[in-house]
Amino acid sequence: MIDQLLKAAKCADALWRREERTSIAFESGRLKTAGITEEAGINLRVMAEGRMGVAGTTAATPDLEALVARARASAELGEHLDLAFPPTSSLPSVPTFFDRAANASLDQLIALGRGLVERLAREGCQVNVAIEREVGETAVGNTAGARGGYPATGVAVTAEIIRIASDDVLMIYDQYVGGDLPSGGDLEALVRSIETRLEPALTIVSPPEGALPVVFTPAGLAAVVLPLEQALSGKTVIQGSSPLAARVGEQAFDTRLSITDDPLAPGGPASRPLDDECVPSARTALVDRGIVRGFVYDLETAARAKARSTGHGRRGVFGKPQIRYTNLIVGEASRDVGAQHAAPLLGGGLIADITDGLIVDDLIGVGQGNVIGGGFSHPVGLAYRVQRGEITGRVKDAAVAGNVYDLLKSIAGFGSDGRWLGSRWSASLRLDGVSVARR
Amino acid sequence: MKDRLAAALKTSRADYTEIRVERTWSSAVTFRGRRLETATVSEDQGGFVRALNRGCGWGIASFTSLDALPAMVGRANQLSRAVRLDKPISLAETVPQVADAALDLDGDVRGISLAEKKKLIEAYNGAMLAVSDAVVDTSAIYRDEVSEVWYVNSEGTALAQLRPEVSISGTAIARRDGTIEKGLESIGLRKGWRSVHGLEERFRIVAQRAVDLLDAPRVQGGAYPVILDNELAGVFVHEAFGHLSEADFVYENPQAREMMTLGRRFGKPVLNVGDNGAASGLRGTLPYDDEGTPTQDTPLIKEGMLVGRLHSRETAAALGERPTGNARAISFRHAPIVRMTNTYIAPGRAGATREDLIKDVKLGVYACGAFGGQTMLENFSFTAAWGHMIRDGHVAEMVKDVVLAGNLFQTLDRIDHIAGDFTWNQMGGGCGKGGQFPLPVTEGAPHVRIEEILVGGDV
Repeated sequence: MIDQLLKAAKCADALWRREERTSIAFESGRLKTAGITEEAGINLRVMAEGRMGVAGTTAATPDLEALVARARASAELGEHLDLAFPPTSSLPSVPTFFDRAANASLDQLIALGRGLVERLAREGCQVNVAIEREVGETAVGNTAGARGGYPATGVAVTAEIIRIASDDVLMIYDQYVGGDLPSGGDLEALVRSIETRLEPALTIVSPPEGALPVVFTPAGLAAVVLPLEQALSGKTVIQGSSPLAARVGEQAFDTRLSITDDPLAPGGPASRPLDDECVPSARTALVDRGIVRGFVYDLETAARAKARSTGHGRRGVFGKPQIRYTNLIVGEASRDVGAQHAAPLLGGGLIADITDGLIVDDLIGVGQGNVIGGGFSHPVGLAYRVQRGEITGRVKDAAVAGNVYDLLKSIAGFGSDGRWLGSRWSASLRLDGVSVARR
Repeated sequence: MKDRLAAALKTSRADYTEIRVERTWSSAVTFRGRRLETATVSEDQGGFVRALNRGCGWGIASFTSLDALPAMVGRANQLSRAVRLDKPISLAETVPQVADAALDLDGDVRGISLAEKKKLIEAYNGAMLAVSDAVVDTSAIYRDEVSEVWYVNSEGTALAQLRPEVSISGTAIARRDGTIEKGLESIGLRKGWRSVHGLEERFRIVAQRAVDLLDAPRVQGGAYPVILDNELAGVFVHEAFGHLSEADFVYENPQAREMMTLGRRFGKPVLNVGDNGAASGLRGTLPYDDEGTPTQDTPLIKEGMLVGRLHSRETAAALGERPTGNARAISFRHAPIVRMTNTYIAPGRAGATREDLIKDVKLGVYACGAFGGQTMLENFSFTAAWGHMIRDGHVAEMVKDVVLAGNLFQTLDRIDHIAGDFTWNQMGGGCGKGGQFPLPVTEGAPHVRIEEILVGGDV
């Protein structure tokens, strides 16, 4: 279908993707729902007289001529763009399809979920578990002759414990996301990760106040990483709103901070051999030992920035390609990325010398402030107080605030608890001097 | 189409079956800075089947190929039978509905050219860019859609609905040296082309605000009396209480049921809260929800007491209450779950103004506009777009990064004054829950005073 479409469109590229998803959901420990989703669609981009237009369809037997006409109409309004589609090239090899995941039966998925529910069951706790398995196929091509495609599997296991004791609501969440089914070790890590956070949360203590050391767990780190993800995107660079755009080659952060995007990470949840614009996958160093090295680009932003695409074009059925990170590795450059520690220590081994501070595992409202400026201010969703090197209990009604560009100039350390969380790999991060307010 | 669905329904061997098919026509024009990003027209369609059998769970199938409909009816039944349940799922009784419900298209967006839509959003984008050289980046998005939704179930409900939607949003980024601030305008309406003109001034204002925020200090963290403007008070009620009133949170959890017992006091007698999916012309408005239940005005808090909650047919049956028409899905890709529609804090004493709420506050914060909100049920955050300090009963200097940290059991009860100046916020964006985002909802409120609430920031 891609070949036919490209022939009709002259100067163009296209993506076809088909996905079949099987999902099961346990509510309060009981299996309640089983479902499937089947979806297929085509996204077409044309260049007509130097202008770009896009169109997409989910129709089962699409009218290809109409699709091309729709893309051309979209191009008529478009801006001039010097976009060259990449020629054919050899692709790196990275596993994206796992037979075990593809062939798992509904009963196997149910058994997996049931096992997890049983291990997480606690008196007075509601356990919700969901499993989603996706089998998909992607094909991309362009009129410069490039073709690519790959089958892929993906599995997401999410588990949540809700404990309500009179008026106290405690929610602890964890997930496994990967190309293959979780191993016994992955499930053990998931259970232990929830248990490790549940037990100290049963005691509620009053929050501290002031500029304090705060350990952000891999989950709690989202508020710190989000501004960097925006600033390291070629999109904000060409818009003039990236605080890092003019700082390539500069020491903007502590030497312990490195950030790499790696679509070829073995077993990485977002690994793939090429992006959705036929650009072969390669590692991109964004920050190396605190020095800003580069940005991620798709074809369009690269053309406008007079840079090269780093292979970060991602497209859905509708709309034009957008920049999307793949596997984002955040931490010390020397640390290995690999399997999750089976029994991670809450705090990542970073709390021994903290006299008074916090471990932050979840913040509420991440992404809703002035993210691009680097400022954050959030009530804690799940956080623990650390006193004299020990976790003394969970704190409520506290809020943390700071600016990541100030705080990351000096890092107190990364922990020993590196793990995947979605498609981000990181360990706990300790920052000193984070503002903690309380009521 | 209804006949096609009725025929497919007849082939089902499940005890209960429902089919929803949607066809959505949409267009979008996006500017980023001075550059047009995209101008596209899209058509999306697909179907959803849900089956239920006695002693079994839900079987669900969603698909983009309508040719697969008969096969999917069979798959949903098989999936339901694969889920064995000791405690059966029952659905609260509803009267089967047969209707064609077409909402007013208010200027059918399908008849307007992309070039005209581009011209409109370009003018709003230009209004932001013209404010100051300090406005370094903007994003301006025009989006519209008309969806046709067909719904049938095996109890005799057969509905055809036509739902229009149009939204316009603008973000202005202002920058001076290392300081970057933003202003946000967002308008979302369940209406059409006629309703989105003459809005330049609103976009100019938000861009000017982004520039003004460059000079504003960050708010100092701590507990303050806070007055919320209408927009933020709307987001507040959505996050603070709306999500807790969704019965899928309580129906399977005995402790949660106890915590949310009807009759429990959550606020002072000034506080009245409800959710009204039948309100006229709002973004969360629908004649029927995605289980075919008519929508209604549901009181949730009356004079400070919990009096109701939002239901699907399943949660209503489990709690022995009545369905409220709040089972909603963002598209055929998803099952309906319990969601809000148009959630509101009812106005206080007629004639009570913002000034009445501020005049006896010695030191406080006037929190305005909304960048967003999120809840973890007991605790929640809501982020103001900007704020002012209140000093000795007067609105004083502008402050930024005003993020409020709420607690369900404390914050609601500390609402001590509610003005009479109620408005609905016709905002774009939407609500996210269970992987379903963005769901069109509206919030409405007057100015509201909270005696004391935690504001995050430097201490």
